[in-house]
Amino acid sequence: MSSSAAGARDAAGSRLAASAAAARGAARAAVSATVSATVSALEMALGAEHAAVYGYGVVGAQLTGAAQAAAARDWVAHQVARDDLEAMLRSLGAEPVPAAPAYRLPAPVLTAHDAVTLAVQLEDRTATAYLGLVAASAPAIRRFGALRLRATALRAAFWRGTTVAFPGLPASVLARRPQP
Amino acid sequence: MLAASAALPLVALAGCRGVGALAPPPAPAPDVDVLTTVIAGEQLLIARYEAVLAVPRYRAAGLKATLEPLLAEHRAHLAQLRSRLIVPAGAARPSPSSPARRPSRPVVPGSESAAVAFLRAAELQASDALLSQLGKVPPSLAQLLASISASEATHAAWLQAGGPAG
Repeated sequence: MSSSAAGARDAAGSRLAASAAAARGAARAAVSATVSATVSALEMALGAEHAAVYGYGVVGAQLTGAAQAAAARDWVAHQVARDDLEAMLRSLGAEPVPAAPAYRLPAPVLTAHDAVTLAVQLEDRTATAYLGLVAASAPAIRRFGALRLRATALRAAFWRGTTVAFPGLPASVLARRPQP
Repeated sequence: MLAASAALPLVALAGCRGVGALAPPPAPAPDVDVLTTVIAGEQLLIARYEAVLAVPRYRAAGLKATLEPLLAEHRAHLAQLRSRLIVPAGAARPSPSSPARRPSRPVVPGSESAAVAFLRAAELQASDALLSQLGKVPPSLAQLLASISASEATHAAWLQAGGPAG
C-alpha cells in the first residue's frame, strides 16, 4: 500500500473515530432522555396503582359475597402490579413515590352500586396510565404496558358488565383525526 | 461576489424542488404496512362474526345478543384504524383484489359451542398479533393498537363466560 493511501486511510479512520464518538455522545443523551421518559411513565402508572389499591379497600367495604371476593382478588392484583412498578423504577435508579395516606374519591361510596362504579373508574384510570407506557420507545416497556392494559381492561369489563372498544383511550383522542 | 453567495441558497432550494418533482412516489411509511396488516386482521374478524351470525339457528339461539355488541366494537376498531391510514399521494396502494380488501368467506363450525370457541380463538389470536406490531409504529399508533388488543382480550373472556350473565 502506498503512503498516500495509508494517509488517506488514517484520515478517514480519524474522521470515523470522531463521528463514532459524536454518535456515542448523542446515543448516551438519547438513552438518558429515553430513560427519563420511561421513568415518568412508570411513575404515572405507579400513582394510578397506589390510588387503585386505596380505592379497592373502599370498594370491598361496600360489597358482600362473591362481589366482595372479586374486589379482594382485584385489590391483590393491584398490589402486585404496584410492587412490580416499584421494582422497575428502582432498577432504573429512580426512587418510587410512596402512596398518599388517602385519596379523594370521585364520588361518595355509600352503596354497592357506588362501589362498582368506583371499581370501573379505578380500572379506567389505571388503563390510561398504562397506555403511557405503551408510548415508551423501548419495545419491552411497550409490551409490558400493553399486557397490563389488557389485565386492567379485563377487570373493568367484569365490573362494568360489558366490554368497550377502546380501553384506556380517552374519547378526545379517538375523535381527533391525524393531519397528513 | 456577495450577491452571488446570497443567490446560492435560492438556487439550492430551486434545485431541491426540481429533484422532488422528478422523484418517484415515496414508499409507504412502515406504519402504513402495519396499518394495512392490522386492518386486514380486523376485517377477517368482522367476516367471521358475520358468518356466524348469518347462520339462522345461531341467531335464534340467543348468540345474537352476545355477538352483536362485540361485532359493533370491531367495526369501531376498523373505522379508527382506517382513519389513521394516510397513504402518500402516488404511492402504491393495495389492489382491490388483495387479501387486505377481500377476506375469504370463513367456514363456520357446525355447533353453537364450536362457533363460539372459533370466535374466541380468533379474538385471542388477533389480540396477540396486535401486540407483536407495537414496536414497529409511532407511539400514538402503538397506543391505539394496544387498546384494541386489550378490547379483543376482553371479547375472548366474554365469549368464554357466555356474556355478562356468564
